[in-house]
Amino acid sequence: MSEDKVIVANRGLVRADFNFWVGRYLDKFYDNLENKKVIGNKCTKCGAVFVPPRKVCGECNVVIPLEENWVDLPDTGTVVNYTITPYRINDRTLRKAKNLLLGMVQIDGSNTSIVYRLLDLEPSEVKIGMKVKIDWAEKPKGDPSDIKGFVKV
Amino acid sequence: MGRQVAIVSAGFSEHASKRSDVNMAELVSEAVSDCLKNAPGVDFNDIDAYVNGNMPAFEGVNLPELWMTDWMGARNKPLLRVTTGGTTGGTVAISGYYTVAAGLPKIDTVLAVAFEQQSQGDTSVGLGSVAYGEISVLNTMGIPYDQLSRLLSAGAAIGVAAYQATNYMSKTHITEEDLARVVVQNRHNAAKTWWSHLKMPDITVEEVLDTPYISYPLRYGMVCPASDGACAMLFTIEEKAKDMCDIPVYVNGVASVANESAVLGYDGSGTGQIDPSEQLGAMKSSELAYYQAGISFPRKEIDYAEVYSPFPNQELMWVEKLGLFEETTAPKMYETGVTSLKGELPINCSGGVNSTNAIGASAMERPAEAALQIMGKADNQVPKTVHTSIGHGWGGSLNLCTLMVMSDEPQRKWRR
Ligand SMILES: [Zn+2]
Repeated sequence: MSEDKVIVANRGLVRADFNFWVGRYLDKFYDNLENKKVIGNKCTKCGAVFVPPRKVCGECNVVIPLEENWVDLPDTGTVVNYTITPYRINDRTLRKAKNLLLGMVQIDGSNTSIVYRLLDLEPSEVKIGMKVKIDWAEKPKGDPSDIKGFVKV
Repeated sequence: MGRQVAIVSAGFSEHASKRSDVNMAELVSEAVSDCLKNAPGVDFNDIDAYVNGNMPAFEGVNLPELWMTDWMGARNKPLLRVTTGGTTGGTVAISGYYTVAAGLPKIDTVLAVAFEQQSQGDTSVGLGSVAYGEISVLNTMGIPYDQLSRLLSAGAAIGVAAYQATNYMSKTHITEEDLARVVVQNRHNAAKTWWSHLKMPDITVEEVLDTPYISYPLRYGMVCPASDGACAMLFTIEEKAKDMCDIPVYVNGVASVANESAVLGYDGSGTGQIDPSEQLGAMKSSELAYYQAGISFPRKEIDYAEVYSPFPNQELMWVEKLGLFEETTAPKMYETGVTSLKGELPINCSGGVNSTNAIGASAMERPAEAALQIMGKADNQVPKTVHTSIGHGWGGSLNLCTLMVMSDEPQRKWRR
């Protein structure tokens, strides 16, 4: 067999960094998380409450003004869906990791759900419909990590 | 046999280098709201289907069209995403046209939306995959992608445009002053267009020539900015158009033609193999679209043009290659005011891509502005009546062009 001589090699992946603007609606949401407060906003037509807040209600095609219709919400909610996974997206070789519980939680008083980890729960304990509350970060920074996850009420 | 299609409205978001006050979906919703505001007889219930697009790899997320569905009013409606590089906006508009022309039951009115929020990502990396005109030359030498940027003095689209400019200048014997004059006209026009990015009402030729080179013969003061922005156009059938707006703009010809494949090039195209100012794509697309529209003498029959020119040499080249002026005569037309707002054939009164470039939206903003000029609703409206106008887009490595020919009269001849 002849020896391969490498003339041209592609030495690595081309990196492309993206930083997304979240916009003013989410700015306000994250500012409130920093104070351990959950806020949503309400469609001016159908009254649906969105967490996180959004500019447009897609059901009604109505723009919710930035200045109005904000709703203060509690840090409690209901598990509307869940899964249990040993899979780590950043470490695919780790096949026998501890199970994580991921839940879709509807904050009380809202019509939408957010996805976070369910903490301090055994897989056998989790049920659709169970009441949970936010486990806040000790030092909130005004970003999604301010909510560590949800714990049983 | 296709149906006669009309444009009833067009809208824009505000454009700037950083629209950090909005996310991608909110940016798009601004253009959609503006488009509907310009057509008071239309609401979301009247829209049957959507086409959406931006420059591939510039959005940094998968399926952006699904993210922004609600923000476009597209919930539970047919939605198609189309991306064709620099010409994306033109292709999205053409796809809006196709969707209406097809004559499918329950699909009469289509909203086409194109956008880019360039401040979020790395534009040079995105463009690296498509816009190095030299890529075919480098590939034939076996030089890999990750070394491209080290070998080229200027990357991205200007890497193509500089060679294009050198060719054009040597053919026409023009000076840098001729290039600067195009820029000045664009910047002044942009100052009178509410949604434009680089508004410079007082800039002079001397000031443009006083800026340093990026890549000879192009100087910093001559090139387009990178913008955040969005554009929307509303297409419908002839029968409904009259109820939706005062002056429907009929789409009478569309074409998208390239004598290359997107990257490697047909017939060895690419800056190193051919004259980049030859532009067979522009000639072929205009030949086809003018034929469809029944236009035999573009110079006489077209009253207004928006051409896709991030760089001033391209503007001179396009207006010639699209048949608006004789070869090598365009610089004279800018010097004598023929292409100005009050001239015989005004070009890019919006300020053009040279003044505002949210890439995915740019090739839609051309037909959008050209349609508004026919309606008499453009911000920087030309004083004469515009009956027929064209909106052009450019992309690919070198030679991909989109074209839309619009008129205040429907044109059925080609459908016989
Ligand atoms: Zn609603």
